[in-house]
Amino acid sequence: MNRRSFAVLASALLLGSTLTACGSDEGSDSGDNSGVTLTMLMGVNNIYPEQQRAWFTEVSDKFKQETGASVRFETFASANDELTKIQTSVVSGQGPDVYALGTTFTPTAYATGAFVELTKDDWDKVGGRDRFLPATLGISGPDQEHEVGIPFASRPFVMAYNKDLLTAAGIDKPADSWDALRDQAKQLTKDGTYGLAIGYADGFDPWKFIWAMTIQAGTPVVKDGKAALDGPNTKTAYQNYLGWLATDKVVDPAAVGWKNAQAIAAFGDGKAAFLPMVSASSKVTLDKSKVAGKYAYAVMPTIPPGATSLPAGGVGATSILSGDNVVVAKYSKHKDLALALVKLMTSEQMQTSYYKTFGELPTNQAAATALGSDPALAAIVESAGKSENTPFTGAWGQVQLELTNVVVQSIPDLSAGRVDDGKLTGLLGQAQTKAQQALDKAK
Amino acid sequence: MTSPRRTATRRGRPLWMFLPGGVLTLLVIIVPLVLALYISLLDLDQYSIREWVGAEFIGFENYVEAVRDSNLVHAIGISIGYSALVTVGCLPIGLAAAIATQDRFKGRALVRSILLVPYVLPAFVVGSTWRIIFQPDGVANGLLGTSGLWLNGPRSFWALVIVALWSGWPLVYLLAAAGLQSVDATVHEAAALDGAGWWAKLRHVVLPQLRGPVSLALVISFLHNVNSFTLPFVLFGVPSPYDVEVLPVLTYVESFQNFEFGLSVAMAVVSLILVAIPMAVYLRAVRLDTGRGLR
Repeated sequence: MNRRSFAVLASALLLGSTLTACGSDEGSDSGDNSGVTLTMLMGVNNIYPEQQRAWFTEVSDKFKQETGASVRFETFASANDELTKIQTSVVSGQGPDVYALGTTFTPTAYATGAFVELTKDDWDKVGGRDRFLPATLGISGPDQEHEVGIPFASRPFVMAYNKDLLTAAGIDKPADSWDALRDQAKQLTKDGTYGLAIGYADGFDPWKFIWAMTIQAGTPVVKDGKAALDGPNTKTAYQNYLGWLATDKVVDPAAVGWKNAQAIAAFGDGKAAFLPMVSASSKVTLDKSKVAGKYAYAVMPTIPPGATSLPAGGVGATSILSGDNVVVAKYSKHKDLALALVKLMTSEQMQTSYYKTFGELPTNQAAATALGSDPALAAIVESAGKSENTPFTGAWGQVQLELTNVVVQSIPDLSAGRVDDGKLTGLLGQAQTKAQQALDKAK
Repeated sequence: MTSPRRTATRRGRPLWMFLPGGVLTLLVIIVPLVLALYISLLDLDQYSIREWVGAEFIGFENYVEAVRDSNLVHAIGISIGYSALVTVGCLPIGLAAAIATQDRFKGRALVRSILLVPYVLPAFVVGSTWRIIFQPDGVANGLLGTSGLWLNGPRSFWALVIVALWSGWPLVYLLAAAGLQSVDATVHEAAALDGAGWWAKLRHVVLPQLRGPVSLALVISFLHNVNSFTLPFVLFGVPSPYDVEVLPVLTYVESFQNFEFGLSVAMAVVSLILVAIPMAVYLRAVRLDTGRGLR
């Protein structure tokens, strides 16, 4: 038996039983849509579970009114859940019609080739490409002709700071360079209070810091398919990030074991002056904490370590382009209906109500403009406008993992109060090799 | 091979009863296994998964890459090392508990149930709880008077051993206790009549009878630890600290973080071979595979 027929036979065996169960999914977009049910997969909202269920019902009802079809929402609990679902759907050619994906995952989804590339006509069906904030379209596709992701929610990263602690230390506002922020943090570290709260053991936070500092220095970790993880600026970024705890002593030593949530908790306890790399969703926790009413958000520094102004070629990015994109599966039998659903979800009215319920910023231009005037949101809106997209490559997931891995393997040293230069160089060399291998495989 | 089967059929053994189990085995074990073996020979990644049948056939390149470029060999060392330590460590604890609860005393049923708690707790719960205990400012450092890291660095290996031991020893206890129950009371009487003290009785009467169930427990414990994903994943997260980069987590990362499905499956095949070895040794030892029961 040759390879192909073997594989066909094998997959037929595997899928045979499931296919028969789903054979009744036929339907057409024209005419009567009653009885048609779209499926959409979204991340479960652990902060507002009840509101999310209510939102599902609201969207479903509105959609039924407009099109006659209904929507069934499925949720995934974690990125792994999501990935497993996507993998099985992609392989079997059946599953949800519409997916909400995190922005940094969009390139990987694009790489699978399983999602609809939006034509001008498709964009028109979701209300036009110009209905969205231009900055939020930065990670919809490799270029404007090959976009798959429709921006749905924006969650830019900012920095929370404790107003009381800063005032007491005579600091009027958070610094705009990483060096000056470190100096402020030193000044604020005393009596069991620390300058910074950092989740060194978080699975995602560390790479975002390194990414930001290197793009600000003009040497992004990936550019044109080439990795630059072993460059001098990358090393400086790591030394700076790790140094906060190891040598500057402006972070609680226990932070070697912290994830993002524990950093937020420490800040909420009034034990830290600055809490960088959080999104607006931290507001829910902080408003119930000891620092409620005593904190504010600011954009993170945009001047890289070792500099006093943005160097030539540097990009003053305040955050990765963060939030959710919506993609439509190629295998969907109801593409037009799926686009109609996206149109509904990204309408000004729905986006405004989504923000009011969940605290995630609109991607809809009109809704965002209306919000921009709220002073409490100023920093977050500013960060949304100055967010930069992570490189659009299917290998980004691997690069991200390698960036984080350098921090994970440096933690024993960190705990011992040092940043071992030789070891860091070695780790960065390995990370560079692996990241470049992944980029070379990108198709 | 054919003769015992023919004999069995001639004797009218109801071989058709094998059918439900056989069909299930085919569907949930053999077909996926064959698929996995095939996928391990493909260059299957995020770019080719949609039409995976058409993914490039690359022979044994995934295996070569796994051994040469990844941390596979290191991970095998860690996995086997900690599993062996845990298995050996479970033996005295489990045996002692089984012997201690053998004779009736007030509240024995309760004690026996409590002893099983670590084993029946989901690995996720065990991992989350110990994760809190092992924080730098957590209970472990407080009680031991130590400071510093448990969940990263060289000590993390011992953290894994401790937690796996904590949650794993009741299996040995359970099987040993079951084995003790099956020791005939007359044997005890006979030993007592012969004037054997408790140690002689334990050494020459009880332990030999426990060899079967306890060695089964040890094999299961070893295999369980080699295959354990949830516990190290929850305790240490990904990317894994180098000292606790166990095989299942490495395999997981290749599949679900790096999307190197072919490479990941090749690693999974290697781990299958790895667990097959002790399994085969055990089966030989207890002679389940020789068809002795037919005679």
